[in-house]
Amino acid sequence: MIVPAGYSLRPLAPELALFAAAVTALLVHLFLGKRGRRASGYVALAGTGAAGLVLALTPPSAEALFGGNFVVDPFALYFKSAILLAGAMAMVLAFRFFDIEGSEAGETYPLMLLAMIGMTAAVSATDVITTYVAFELFAIPSYLLAGIFKKERRSAEAGIKYFFLGTLSSAIMLLGLALVFGLTGSTAYAEAGPALGGSEGRAVLVAMGLVFAGLFFKAAFVPFHMWAPDVYEGAPTPLVIFLSTAPKAAVVALLVRAMTSLFGAYREEWSLVLQGVALATMFWGNLAALTQNSLKRMLGYSAIAQAGYIAIGLASWGEAGRTAVLFYVVAYIVMNAAAFGLVLLVDRGGRFDESIDGLRGLARRAPAGAVGILVVLLSLTGIPPTAGFMGKYLLFTAAVEKGLTLLAVAGALNSAISLFYYFRIGKAMFLEGIASAAPEAGSQTQENISRPVSVFLAVSAAALLLFGLLPALLTNPAVSAFLSR
Amino acid sequence: MNVFGLPILTFVTFFPLAGMLVVLALPGSRSRAIKLAANIFTGLEFAATLLILTRFDASSGEMQLIERLPWIKSLGAQYLLGVDGISLLLVLLTSLLTFVATLSSWGAVTSRLKEYYAFILLLETGMVGVFLALDLLLFYVFWEVVLVPMYFLIGIWGGERRLYAAIKFFLYTLFGSVAMLVGILVLRAHHHSFDWTAMVAAGPVIPAALQGWIFLAFFLGFAIKVPMFPFHTWLPDAHVEAPTAGSVILAGVLLKMGSYGFLRFSLPLLPAATRRYAPALAILALVAIVYGALVSLMQKDMKKLIAYSSVSHMGFVMLGLAALTPLAVKGAVLQMINHGLSTGALFLIVGVLYERRHSRLIAEFGGLSSRMPVYAAVFLIMTLASIGLPGLNGFIGEFMILMGTFPVSWLWTAVAATGIVLGAGYMLWLYQRVMFGKIVHPANESLKDLTIREFVTFLPLLVLVFWIGVFPKPFLDVIDKPVEKIVRIVNPTHFEVRR
Repeated sequence: MIVPAGYSLRPLAPELALFAAAVTALLVHLFLGKRGRRASGYVALAGTGAAGLVLALTPPSAEALFGGNFVVDPFALYFKSAILLAGAMAMVLAFRFFDIEGSEAGETYPLMLLAMIGMTAAVSATDVITTYVAFELFAIPSYLLAGIFKKERRSAEAGIKYFFLGTLSSAIMLLGLALVFGLTGSTAYAEAGPALGGSEGRAVLVAMGLVFAGLFFKAAFVPFHMWAPDVYEGAPTPLVIFLSTAPKAAVVALLVRAMTSLFGAYREEWSLVLQGVALATMFWGNLAALTQNSLKRMLGYSAIAQAGYIAIGLASWGEAGRTAVLFYVVAYIVMNAAAFGLVLLVDRGGRFDESIDGLRGLARRAPAGAVGILVVLLSLTGIPPTAGFMGKYLLFTAAVEKGLTLLAVAGALNSAISLFYYFRIGKAMFLEGIASAAPEAGSQTQENISRPVSVFLAVSAAALLLFGLLPALLTNPAVSAFLSR
Repeated sequence: MNVFGLPILTFVTFFPLAGMLVVLALPGSRSRAIKLAANIFTGLEFAATLLILTRFDASSGEMQLIERLPWIKSLGAQYLLGVDGISLLLVLLTSLLTFVATLSSWGAVTSRLKEYYAFILLLETGMVGVFLALDLLLFYVFWEVVLVPMYFLIGIWGGERRLYAAIKFFLYTLFGSVAMLVGILVLRAHHHSFDWTAMVAAGPVIPAALQGWIFLAFFLGFAIKVPMFPFHTWLPDAHVEAPTAGSVILAGVLLKMGSYGFLRFSLPLLPAATRRYAPALAILALVAIVYGALVSLMQKDMKKLIAYSSVSHMGFVMLGLAALTPLAVKGAVLQMINHGLSTGALFLIVGVLYERRHSRLIAEFGGLSSRMPVYAAVFLIMTLASIGLPGLNGFIGEFMILMGTFPVSWLWTAVAATGIVLGAGYMLWLYQRVMFGKIVHPANESLKDLTIREFVTFLPLLVLVFWIGVFPKPFLDVIDKPVEKIVRIVNPTHFEVRR
């Protein structure tokens, strides 16, 4: 059969690889019984790796495929790689989580793969309908993943909460997308965008507001973040890593496409909205994190605040802004995955201790992991020579260049605020002894320090240092992600 | 000039980092080997910084031995190191005090040795980098690198309230430095470069109003570090809680990073704003001089007393910078070195007593001169140096600052002079209460005098205190031209008047 131009399945190869892996993992889980649970995980990880390989071989092109629904430009490829990275990091840590906690749900892994298909498709979507379908394709598995740990009530609660609020936000976004169609009579960005530029301003702004609201919800931007701390606290840690990184990357890509293709004529308006969101998200996330005592909840707020820095780059979108955003998305994925990975470093009596006090004196018992996490904390705070600093630096530069100096000042102020809670972790690990915790730790529960997690933290730290010292490793692909557009 | 194939400035910057890796690679149980390695590395580092002198041209005010490599091309950031007389003295001070600090830690630090020396060596790389970096982004990176090891030095090996002091130090300075970062970004947006030499060559391209904002951003970063009144409250906590070596480095070098920042960046890059805000700087400096001295008078803890005296002494440095005359600025640079030597030594002196008695309260001591004669002599010399007795280093610096400030304002000079009187008061009173009188406390009867190792630690400081006091010319010659270059940029009218 002759495939007409623009309808070859080849550009979909990464998604197809993920899909094949998802089906295989599901079947493995089904037919291998108990052993199949973990085996499906290995299949999923291998599938993610294979998808990454296929991705590397996929040639970027600016051509609109499938009748203008889909594009595999360098921008999409960059975000697809970021999403696969996030997924792979989460899977590796999921093995560790279920090793200790038990009750491994084999369907976790296929669900993650399905969500990743949705995300990788979403970053390529150039049509209103494709956008929505891809968006839902990663939203629905996300709800299931949040609630997958049935042993734990908090997890079920997180799943339900995420589901109700999530569907509401999807509906809001759908309404916005419908308005776009209503205003322009077209679903393709390439046609709807210019048409919107010429149509009645107020209705477009309503459409934009609705679309953005749906996206902001998924990215946990303040004031659409209410679900995030609860879900991040309740869901199993590796899935929190997944849910707090991969969808955010996908949503940032969706936002960028919406900003530049659909609402390109309304730059002033969306920049203003994003400035507000950036300020609210940074301040709310950081200030709320200050008061937390649960490590996971604190890191949850930290994940919210970190997304606020990305919003600075979106608000000052331009040559500098886009490099900064793309850089920070990857840095954020590594930092956040490693930070939550800390929760999985130590288990006591078959449980993970989620309090900050549980980390006391850990530097002496797990030096490699502790040094790794120290670098991660420096990076999250934005202290050189780490990727977090370089990312913040790029973001603030972009803001200053667009004349948004106050936004840069706010961002800088926030990094100083965040030091206080990030270094509660550093303080507990390095400065505080285990004097008070020692008797109970010794007598009642056996403390285990996971070597693989230590290695994971050390490798993440090395990557953050590398990107911090040689940012060109990331900025070059980030810059070239826009060359053909 | 190359050392082991590396250009000299790169070598002196990263040699301590190599030392850190070596120390970390040693097995933790071999405590003697760790101490020895750390001392050898800091000693060799001092020797290496002296090597710079062989290629340094003191008759030039320009940056020398420049090393320039592209670092992040897309941002215009470079790996750019260079040295002039001002940086040279501060780098020498850094390597000397770090060597002294490691030497003094031989018996004082007993726990977690490997981490301790690793942090000190990392700190040294950061400090040397700060004084050599001429690319503003690189400077910022080194500036921040300094924070982390110091945080741990205070937080792990510090005194009772170390956790509080460590985070307070970290938070305060980070708050200032992020403000400075924004200032650097705005500066870059106008110069399209981070290159200090290019910015100086480009001249004042930034409008005066914007200069004011950048100046304020830099001010927050530098003033907190100095620390200037009213940003000094982190200092007593950090100094008192830090281990002796930490206090020596903190007072001796880290504070100078702030005044160096003013001199290197604020003055030549933001001349209009500097002229506008100089009186405000001077007044804050005067408040620090008097307030720091008054608070020192009423301290019961020796270390706290010396910490507050630093506030007062750094006030002199800032006054000299704010006066914007060549003489006063030169005095300020020399006073940075002097303060590093004498205050560093005074913290060591307190450390010696603390190691023997585990107390720093003045009331615990008295009459020690009869038991520890050598110690008494060293203490006396350093006390007099700190007061500014003619013939010792403090006098030269303070005198130059006062003389250079006088033509600008006699009132500033008069107020600052009262600080010297008060300084004599608190230092001599401290000396009297600790060293003279009768021995009241029985534990003081059996105190041992300085050991050979301890005396060797003090020896270079003693030599320099006399050398600068009697024959400061070599030191002044080195800073003469670079200071004049900076003052010419920031205060050209001063030279017109004289002609």
